[in-house]
Amino acid sequence: MSSQEYNGVWVFSESPQLMLELLSKGRKLADELGTELASVAVGDLDPQKLIQHGADKVFAVSQPELKAFQVDTYTDVFESLFGERRPAILLIGATRNGLEFAPRLAERLKTGCVTEATKLELDAEKKFLLVDRVTWGGNLTETHISKAKPQIATVARGLYTPLPADSSRKGEVVKAEPKFKPPSTKIVETRPKEAKGVKVTDAATVVSFGRGVRKKEDMALIEQLAKTMGGVVSCSRPIAEDLRWLPVDQYVGLSGQKVNPKLYLAVGISGQIQHLTGIRGSRIIVAINNDPKAPIFEFSDYNIVADLYQMVPALMDAVKQLGKS
Amino acid sequence: MVKIIVLVKQVFQTADLRVDRASKTIITQGVPRVISETDKNAMEEAVRIKEKHGGKITAVALGPPEAKEALREALAMGADEACLLTDPLFEGSDAHATANVLAAAVTKILEYDLILCGAYSEDLYAFQVGPRLAEVCNLPQITFVAKLTLEGDRVVAERDLENDRQVVEAKLPCLISVTREINEPRLPTLMAIMAASKKPTNTWSAADLKLEAGELGFNGSLIEVLRSTVSAGERKRVTLQGEPNEIAPKLVKALIEEGVLKA
Repeated sequence: MSSQEYNGVWVFSESPQLMLELLSKGRKLADELGTELASVAVGDLDPQKLIQHGADKVFAVSQPELKAFQVDTYTDVFESLFGERRPAILLIGATRNGLEFAPRLAERLKTGCVTEATKLELDAEKKFLLVDRVTWGGNLTETHISKAKPQIATVARGLYTPLPADSSRKGEVVKAEPKFKPPSTKIVETRPKEAKGVKVTDAATVVSFGRGVRKKEDMALIEQLAKTMGGVVSCSRPIAEDLRWLPVDQYVGLSGQKVNPKLYLAVGISGQIQHLTGIRGSRIIVAINNDPKAPIFEFSDYNIVADLYQMVPALMDAVKQLGKS
Repeated sequence: MVKIIVLVKQVFQTADLRVDRASKTIITQGVPRVISETDKNAMEEAVRIKEKHGGKITAVALGPPEAKEALREALAMGADEACLLTDPLFEGSDAHATANVLAAAVTKILEYDLILCGAYSEDLYAFQVGPRLAEVCNLPQITFVAKLTLEGDRVVAERDLENDRQVVEAKLPCLISVTREINEPRLPTLMAIMAASKKPTNTWSAADLKLEAGELGFNGSLIEVLRSTVSAGERKRVTLQGEPNEIAPKLVKALIEEGVLKA
């Protein structure tokens, strides 16, 4: 198949929020390419909503077996929907489901896939999607291109902002009945994880700590600081994975949560590149560390060389003072 | 008796990697090579299954000759045999080409009921090889597994998702990728380390796997790396001086002015 036969930009995520973010970027890419933006609405998702947020065409799939994401059925569905109309670009939301889906679909279609993209742009001749991703433990950012099409990339939450809903936007809803084989796996149960208040990925203020905190009991100090600042607590990878003081979904880093708060406080965190990769999206970073040579100071906005056991109480006092004045 | 293949990737200890800013390349000289963390968890899980149900574990690594070290560690952890896939032709393979080589090894030579691997590798975090291998071998896949039980000819796996825990069943044969949460990998005893040197390790090249140069390495890859840049954040790097009780109000004032702390 020659490249002329590849057309359109498609976006998909089983997460409704991420879908809107992908539509925003997809719209931009489709406009630059002068092509259409398509998406797939499965189950309860309202196709009109996707159109209002930027889609030109929405394939509405309502088979009840497809309501819950399953990697093998969804791989079949996309293969079937594409049929002869192969898109040039397909963006998939980088949820854990998305991350198991994108490579499998890419292998089915014998095409390249770039996971966890941090930047997407078109090359000068608008033939290829250039995808940046962070690699080598966070040390390098590589720009990848797929030699085959569709060029698939997965995109994490928070990278793009949804377009405002425009109720006057017109688009086409195509009722589709894609073919799929019975799934080879069976979902027995899906239960929500225990609610732990605001998640670190959603918080506007994140107070994070690392090995500078000497004992598990001392975490209380960090929790008090977070409470005083109206934020949530997170930690570096060793705290969750080696010491297991906090659940693994509460650590921030390349392999953990990637956060984008307004304010990120790194308390007693040396700043391994693995951690820095997870906090890149923060607007303001404050670092408190007693080692003036700690790498975190190269990547922070406000650097405080101090013992956290003195600095944290002082900071809490100052914030409380503020409330009184 | 369940036959388990564990995919073991040898990586550089990522925390020790540095960048040569001029050449924009990774400095690997003197950096220890280790088994990627989640692959260790996969290895541990295989040993636990074997302890409970009996079976045979084959550890498979694709990499340079040095990857034999990783396999020795896997043998010490409890693998019965190891298999090193190494050939200069494999160098530069992307996830697609890598999955292709692994698929050739597991389908043409090895036997298995279960393939276990880490959900991602420590150096690249691409999350791709497991699902791609499952697709090539036409296997059911269950990824990001934090709890695994073998019941007769099927597995019950608990996936760790963003907001949910999801219990999924599949019949053998299948591919499972695990997270670090699933277990605490054992440290091999001295006895086990010594015993490992007596266990068989086979080495297979592209020719042994009947693979052609065109489907290997850069030529067989679907992804091309166009360029690399050194990751760096542009930050203000303002250092606040003084005693803690002097610094604190300064910081609070600065954060209010930045609009990130509410007065």
